[in-house]
Amino acid sequence: MRRRFWVVALIAAFALIAAACGGTGTTTTQATTTTAAPTTTAGPGTTAAPTTTAATGPKTIIIGTTDTIASLDPADAYATRDWELIKNTGEGLMKWAPGSGDKLIPGLATAPPTVSDDGLTYTVTLKDGIKFGDGTDLTAQVFADSMNRVLTIGPDCPNGVADALVTPYLASVEATDASTIVFHLSQPVAYFPQLLATGPYIPADPNIFPADQCDLFPPAPIYGVGPWIITQYTQQEQVVLEPNPYYNGDYKPQVDQIIVRFYSDPQTMALALQNGEIDIAWRFLGTELIQQLESVPDVTVGAINGGAIRYLIINHTMAPFDDDNVRKAVASLIDRDQMADTVFGGQVTPLYSQVPPGFLGANEAFDTAYQAPNMAAAQQYLTDAGYSESNHLQLDLYYPPEHYGASTADWMAVLQQQLEASGMIDVTLNAVEWSTYVTALTGGEAYSAGVLGWFFDYPDPSNYLEPFVYNGGEGTNVTKPAEGNAFGVGIDDKSQQLTDLLGQAATETDQTKRADLYGQAQDLYADLVVTLPLFFEPEHVVYASYIHGDSMYDSPDTLNIGPTIEFNYSTLTTDK
Amino acid sequence: MALQTPTNEYEWSVELEKVGFVRRLLGARRWYGADWWLVAISAVMVLVFIILGLVPSLLAPYSPDVQVGPRFLAPGASPDLPVLVSLASSGITELGDLETSTGDPRPSVGVVRGVPTAQALNEQAQALNEQLAGTDKELRPRIVRFNSIDEALQAVADGTIAAAVVQSAEYEDLAENYPQVVEGKSVTGESAAAGGFLLGTNQIGQDVFSRLIWGTRIALLIGFSASIIALVLGVPLGLLAGFRGGKLDRLLSIIMDSLYAFPGLILAISITAVLGPSVLNVIVAIAVLYIPTYYRIVRGQTLSVKEELYVEAARSIGARSREILRKYIYPNVIPSVAIIFSVNVADAILTGAGLSFLGLGLPPNTADWGIDLARGQGFIQTAWWLITFPGIAIMLVVLAFTMMGEGLMEIFNPKLRER
Amino acid sequence: MGSFRAHPRTTLPFTMSPLSLIFLIIGVPAFVGLAYIFVRGSTGLRRYILTRIALTLPMVFILASLVFFVLRVIPGDPVSSALGPKGSPETVARLREQLGLNDPLILQYARFLGSVVTLDFGNSLTGAHRPIVDEMSERFPATLELVIPAAILSLVLGIFGGAFAASRRKRTTDYSLRLYSVIIYSLPIFWLGLMLQLLFGVKLGWLPIAGRIDAIAGTTLHHITNIYSVDALLTGNWTALRSVLEHLVLPTLTLGLILSGVFVRLTRINVIETLQQDYIAAARARGIRERVVIYNHALKNAMIPVITLIGLQVAILLAGAVLTETVFSWPGMGRYLVERISSRDYTAVQSVITMFALFVALISLAVDIIYSLVDPRVRY
Repeated sequence: MRRRFWVVALIAAFALIAAACGGTGTTTTQATTTTAAPTTTAGPGTTAAPTTTAATGPKTIIIGTTDTIASLDPADAYATRDWELIKNTGEGLMKWAPGSGDKLIPGLATAPPTVSDDGLTYTVTLKDGIKFGDGTDLTAQVFADSMNRVLTIGPDCPNGVADALVTPYLASVEATDASTIVFHLSQPVAYFPQLLATGPYIPADPNIFPADQCDLFPPAPIYGVGPWIITQYTQQEQVVLEPNPYYNGDYKPQVDQIIVRFYSDPQTMALALQNGEIDIAWRFLGTELIQQLESVPDVTVGAINGGAIRYLIINHTMAPFDDDNVRKAVASLIDRDQMADTVFGGQVTPLYSQVPPGFLGANEAFDTAYQAPNMAAAQQYLTDAGYSESNHLQLDLYYPPEHYGASTADWMAVLQQQLEASGMIDVTLNAVEWSTYVTALTGGEAYSAGVLGWFFDYPDPSNYLEPFVYNGGEGTNVTKPAEGNAFGVGIDDKSQQLTDLLGQAATETDQTKRADLYGQAQDLYADLVVTLPLFFEPEHVVYASYIHGDSMYDSPDTLNIGPTIEFNYSTLTTDK
Repeated sequence: MALQTPTNEYEWSVELEKVGFVRRLLGARRWYGADWWLVAISAVMVLVFIILGLVPSLLAPYSPDVQVGPRFLAPGASPDLPVLVSLASSGITELGDLETSTGDPRPSVGVVRGVPTAQALNEQAQALNEQLAGTDKELRPRIVRFNSIDEALQAVADGTIAAAVVQSAEYEDLAENYPQVVEGKSVTGESAAAGGFLLGTNQIGQDVFSRLIWGTRIALLIGFSASIIALVLGVPLGLLAGFRGGKLDRLLSIIMDSLYAFPGLILAISITAVLGPSVLNVIVAIAVLYIPTYYRIVRGQTLSVKEELYVEAARSIGARSREILRKYIYPNVIPSVAIIFSVNVADAILTGAGLSFLGLGLPPNTADWGIDLARGQGFIQTAWWLITFPGIAIMLVVLAFTMMGEGLMEIFNPKLRER
Repeated sequence: MGSFRAHPRTTLPFTMSPLSLIFLIIGVPAFVGLAYIFVRGSTGLRRYILTRIALTLPMVFILASLVFFVLRVIPGDPVSSALGPKGSPETVARLREQLGLNDPLILQYARFLGSVVTLDFGNSLTGAHRPIVDEMSERFPATLELVIPAAILSLVLGIFGGAFAASRRKRTTDYSLRLYSVIIYSLPIFWLGLMLQLLFGVKLGWLPIAGRIDAIAGTTLHHITNIYSVDALLTGNWTALRSVLEHLVLPTLTLGLILSGVFVRLTRINVIETLQQDYIAAARARGIRERVVIYNHALKNAMIPVITLIGLQVAILLAGAVLTETVFSWPGMGRYLVERISSRDYTAVQSVITMFALFVALISLAVDIIYSLVDPRVRY
């Protein structure tokens, strides 16, 4: 009796554990498609595991990151991480010199493109002897086919880069001979050479990426015309890159292997760097971890003044911000230094114009106009608007509590304190989850003011001003969309003036005149308080002391990552 | 004359009832021994916490939302005061010396990034400007940020900036390297507190101790409200199901069992995600979690009492259902409910803290222990006091209620009495 | 939608997801056991089992449907969330169309039901749009790896601690163990985790404070079941095993200690009740040693209600796992759920909650069956 009991209990215990571990047992019918992340181990001359212990063996550099890959197809990819891989395995007709923010140099082209008089035709000559990593030649026809692929299938791909950077500008591309490419634009645009350096304009290997559909994750190895090839990759884990044997350009790799490892959160990644498991930590560590890492020996923290900005979006058609005086009052009360030092420990820099410093024509329009914090002026504006000590202005500020980091709540608390210090404002903070928030905010109907971040698509002042002015401006409502009008119609004279100014600057080809126009635009922008720029966040790259950038190029202290936030793996060397 | 309905009181309490309440309380001490102490101590603790929750300003020195000091000040450490430094030859010793007439170029004043001296500067400039209002003079320093104090002092020595505001202790360490630079008066804003802070400051300079005290209010609010709502909904349902039985009982039991079996926190997470961040939504989410507990216990008790002989006897002499419920079932149910209530409050506070730790539930600026713990996690390596104290607070409050429930259970559960 | 091809990654000759593998290894003996019980048990027992199984399915179904509809009702949408402010309204509309979010609700519901039945669950709505089964294949074993050792630890500590306390009733050992259990129970799980991190990770530096395995060992480990300790054992990778065990210590301690408090209390009460019984007095009168009385007679009978409670503790385990995973950056199902709720990834959230419901239902089913077998007083 007792024995039978134990037998039954044992079997039942198995049942218990079975039930505990039971899961999706019936996926054997889809065995080939439902297994875990895509990867292969094929590839020329790959080593199985990275060896960082051998000093004389193959040199490997391990880069840690918390960004995951969303897509490897140039016709689709729109994220900085994806572009980083695409720009290291490929190259565009134009490219940014490593470490620089303003040196746009020819890449695959022999010289910068020539422009027709009406600004609608760009002609480029391709260099000779360029091959993809599998030996395929890059001819003008192959390039044109790749571009036309973006134009045709790009709009159907999930990440939508084609809609943002290609189809609004480009009508068609053709190869007039073996090395000449002609771009036909649908409208003149002064920054087309900058666009040529972006992701979708990088040629895709026709043997890997099919002409009729997007392939977000083709099987490794993935070839391009750049210095590296992706020999293997595992989603959520790592990407392994090795030198492209057919590359003969200026940026030859100086190590034998680069591994990019993914971490699910920055804390683990910071620890991995301290323990020596990775050599470089790049995107995103967050200001708190940066502060901690700054005090660790043998680790260097490089700050890059990149283009990520934070600002308040203000709805010009919703009370109380439809009143000029209220906007100016808020602009006069902001103490950016306090925010930067108190909330971020000095890791961010106060921003006084929507265009960050270092870009063409950037000035400090908000500082010139308001010299914040200026309590007297603010109180004057508020009185002019009809408010007083007994009649407080009621402000509702909205923010997403987790999307921009946990410190967002703190920074909003500080902002509230600063506004309420005037004695005439009552601020209510509303935390709204990101997915609800972004839909409501950019729709321009629901919120009067909210915080938002921005990062450029291509490094040009137009990319910082136009999105907030044209066609409702991401919720600012300074213009109303109108039929047949690509920019929208301004809601008042000043807004219309600003819209016209921006339109003029976009087509002006003389750089000095352009800079001047953008300067005027920023002044007008500040006067209108279209948005309220607060600060910009430097990107941080943290690396071990045995890793070096190349002093031949700009910014070796930040591993040759310049304001364009392009990480060129070929400039890296390691002592280990 | 009506037949005497049997009283439902325990034999042992009949004698005690003849004595006053206080004597009864103290007499019970002898009977129950250590368990009595358990309930007594925890009751006192609960009382203390309730008082703190009702009037936090009694004990809290500062408001929890205001930045009162520099960030990351260790418990008991005093903050470093900012001072104005300038070239000896310039004759500038205090901020007021930098005033200019309207229209003149603004004087540049350096600050070191990451140190909140700019704030003190702005505050004092503000105060001085109020005094200068009406004159044609104003104080409009242009703030220039430097990466380190060395760079700032070098700039002062070179004359590129008019003056700099730096922390006095840091300056004293480096003073000899920059002989041309002298220390002027200190720059005091409202935020420069002379003393230290009992438990230190957090990442934006709020007083940890004040936030701790104010956190009691939210924790107790959530704990009590959620438990009361669960009680008000769960107990009647349990009585109904146990008393009436039948289809209603079966249906309710299936629903309650599935709710009960499901991981509570996950259910709460889903509910708060649906409803959005606010105190009320957290209370609702947690209340839903605990309704099945009350339901099950009350139903069980009702079922067992229903079968008792004296209930049958009462029914046979014509007592109505309402009377039976009132006279026989309630008194049996109430002790269990009391025990569950106190344990539930404890559990509700824990669940609430868990929700705010995950970032769901409460608006992010609330002075709440779970939120403080979540924010402090990022600074675990540099500021240990941010996570230690809120956790101790949660533990103490939960402990008080749990101990009370434990003690009550030992007292009320007759099965555990020694024979 | 842009296609992407998934590729097999296991080192086994046949392709099978790690989840399926685990299920097969454990499900087969379970099935055999169930069949045995069926064959040898009485008709009453069979009827009971069938009724329980029949009740489980509607429970899971109702819960899953509830989640589905609730998620559709709440504001916010996965596409806008992912694209952020750069998403033009046209792109958002087009993507919603592609992902099937604009189809009538009934159609989406039918699709959802189909996916639950075939356990297919579809693709994630955000990020790389990977099949959810793949993502769960990676996370579920991680949660298991955390939860099973913690459960074992809490049971062992709890049961023996409770029995010990009961045997020394009303003496200092009893009170100190009761105090321990109450204090442990009052500690927030995440705070205990943070304190352990602070002490052993930061101040003493003995143990790692986050992740499942360190980076280098992670690249050498072949993933078979995705339970890293098992994989390391199977492939004889001792460095990886060591790293995994190091990373496992603190999270297991956190989860296990908290639960042990509950078990100490429960066992103690049950053992005390049992000790009041007559047969115990009789055993003592017969002169049997106290230790034998406690552990052989009392504990075994006290275990009966404890078994039911094990089933209930699964719910607490899963809830605790969510918090522990957050503190230790453990890539398990709990964290996955919290992340996906924020990004409104409907399919992922639905799938995770359905999986949880299934899991809990199966465990309570198993526990009820064991209880009905083990308790000789239960007759059908």
